Amino acid sequence: MRAATDLIDRRSFLKMAGAAWVASLAPDRAFALARADAVFASAFMAQDGSYGVATLTEAGEIIDRTALPARAHGMAYSPVTRRAVAFARRPGTYAMILATDGRVEPVVIAAAEGRHFYGHGCFSADGKLLYATENDFATNRGMVGIYDGTNKFARIGEFPTYGIGPHDMTLTADGRLLAIANGGIETHPDFGRTKLNLDHMEPSLTLVDTATGALVQKHGLPDDLSRLSTRHVDIGPKGEIWFACQYEGARNDLPPLVGSFTEGEDLKFLSLPEDTTEALANYVGAIAVNRNEGLIGLTSPKGNVAVTLDARTGAVLKEERVADAAGVAAADHGFAVSSYDGRFKNSQSRVAWDQHIVRLDRR
Amino acid sequence: MPHLRKLALALALSTFALPAVAQEGSALSPRVVNEAAVPTVMAKAVEAFIIPGYRNLTEKAAAANAATAKLCAAPSQPALETAQGAFSDLVGAWSAIEIVRLGPALEQNRFERFLFYPDRKSTGLKQVQAILSKKDESATDEARLKGKSVAAQGLGALEYVLYGTGAETLLSKEGDFRCRYGLAITKNLDTIANEFLAAWQKPDGVQAAWKHPGPDNPEFRDSREAATELLGILVHGVETVKDQRLKPFYEGTDDKGRPKLAIYWRSGNTMASIAGNVRGLKTLFDVADMQSLLPEDSRSVAGSADFVFKSVIGMAGNIDGPIDQALADENKRAKLAFLSLNTNDLLDRLNKDFGGAIGLGAGFSFADGD
Repeated sequence: MRAATDLIDRRSFLKMAGAAWVASLAPDRAFALARADAVFASAFMAQDGSYGVATLTEAGEIIDRTALPARAHGMAYSPVTRRAVAFARRPGTYAMILATDGRVEPVVIAAAEGRHFYGHGCFSADGKLLYATENDFATNRGMVGIYDGTNKFARIGEFPTYGIGPHDMTLTADGRLLAIANGGIETHPDFGRTKLNLDHMEPSLTLVDTATGALVQKHGLPDDLSRLSTRHVDIGPKGEIWFACQYEGARNDLPPLVGSFTEGEDLKFLSLPEDTTEALANYVGAIAVNRNEGLIGLTSPKGNVAVTLDARTGAVLKEERVADAAGVAAADHGFAVSSYDGRFKNSQSRVAWDQHIVRLDRR
Repeated sequence: MPHLRKLALALALSTFALPAVAQEGSALSPRVVNEAAVPTVMAKAVEAFIIPGYRNLTEKAAAANAATAKLCAAPSQPALETAQGAFSDLVGAWSAIEIVRLGPALEQNRFERFLFYPDRKSTGLKQVQAILSKKDESATDEARLKGKSVAAQGLGALEYVLYGTGAETLLSKEGDFRCRYGLAITKNLDTIANEFLAAWQKPDGVQAAWKHPGPDNPEFRDSREAATELLGILVHGVETVKDQRLKPFYEGTDDKGRPKLAIYWRSGNTMASIAGNVRGLKTLFDVADMQSLLPEDSRSVAGSADFVFKSVIGMAGNIDGPIDQALADENKRAKLAFLSLNTNDLLDRLNKDFGGAIGLGAGFSFADGD
């Protein structure tokens, strides 16, 4: 039954995506994405309103792009299989997996019946499995969909995120657990992107065992921070999990926006200087860790700012004004920051970069 | 109307062909939000649109309550027709102001309690039918009704009472329970409408936040954030019409349609409500003087938006009669196709053209909670 359903989904998906887009998957286009100097990938909207994913050099220059049928959001990369994935933005229904070394054609997967993607996910340590945050919208439960990279990314199972409105998710340093940011906001595809429960949000951070799907640890937020949506995560230099938040409460509150935790420990919020919290406009759009240099990078499109923190002390090292700041990823030194108006590091392209950048790390 | 089909086709070509040939480059000169103009626009939005819109809603809810009370006291065909007319007037008032889906509308589930839609799995319908068949007296008491499912206490439930299976019992005392349930719903809607109005009229409440963006403001720290919220009403309003009101029952020329998924299909208010939504958006655009946010060299953007606004409103208002009959009528289907294309066009005019010209650009719809 499952296979049949997936087939139907894929067919209707391809119908939705349109012939022009399918044609763009012809090998000569798709394989051109692969270049040895590709360092980053990010989703974008072109000036004509079409969507795609691009690979970029260390300097932020576009190497090549592949068209996507609808807007994408987050990306992930497996250094083992050298595959990258772009997830449709919530409440999206597709994800495209690209081979960054060009050995195989891109694979498109469609969300299962009764599920949609939230825009983020990650690969297992061996690169064989892909995990995606998904919404079981009939019951309003966050789910992790599991896809088999050795079999055309067929959906082979799922387990709960143990929270509602999961968004970003990453694998812990030992590859054993998934660290999941359950943003706590209820949405339903019938109502588009409308947030349905702002007066009773349930944000949480969970650690889930990839082998069993069991909950290892769950951190809710205190009542006075119930409107603080925990949304993005990355792994720190010592394996700690860093998280960044978006606040849905009063605009003149000054909630903590960033924190970290490790397995078996409580959440630790960073106490940022008031002017940095204000500069971030209560909204961190993306977080990245430069593990080599021990740095945390944050961007806020609402505050038009990119902030660099010391991962050890939490001190603010740099606060740079970036109009429409979008994605952030570790660079050779510091961070690569992109913007909605086409800036990527010091390069300028005629696209609107989406909210996230993935580093195609070849190590 | 072959000309209409030609027109629809021409529009389809222009909508879909243009992006393909558009060249990258020729980027607009940098646009910035006209900060000085924003507070006046926000004040006008509150004073000339939101508060009058909710005041109108309270009046129509009170009228529906009075008409239903008369029907219950003395059932008759004229009394039923008056109550049904009052329901349609209430739908009209709601359709104009429901576009303001923020602030007080998001608190205490007020929006969903007023209107629960879509009801794809008929959850609401089943609850309403259960109340009617069991004659659940607790549903005739406003205070207890409020504690029931949001789907059993709003416009959808009232529509079923007045138009659904068994509505003819309202013509006699046989429909006494049904009528008293309907009456409790109208009271509930009246209460919610008054809560909306009170929240917006409170001098130091949400209206103060809208009128005076600034560092201590609980809603907007600056004029740019305020302008973003206002543009958001327009863009999300058109998206809602497109994705949540039209698409459920009609997806395009090849779609036979699903009339029973259409909003207000029982009372025949589907297209009037859709026209009302877009008329509400246009009224907000006009009375708040949103075109004053445009730089001098881009004032024509407002003109083109106005043209498409009028086209959508005119076409939606032009598709009359029950929606199942419209879906079976070739001429009306052509109008629906035209309406769908125009709605997509309107979204682009507001999101990309207007949003870009007033300095919000792509960032507007990008940074909305991801």
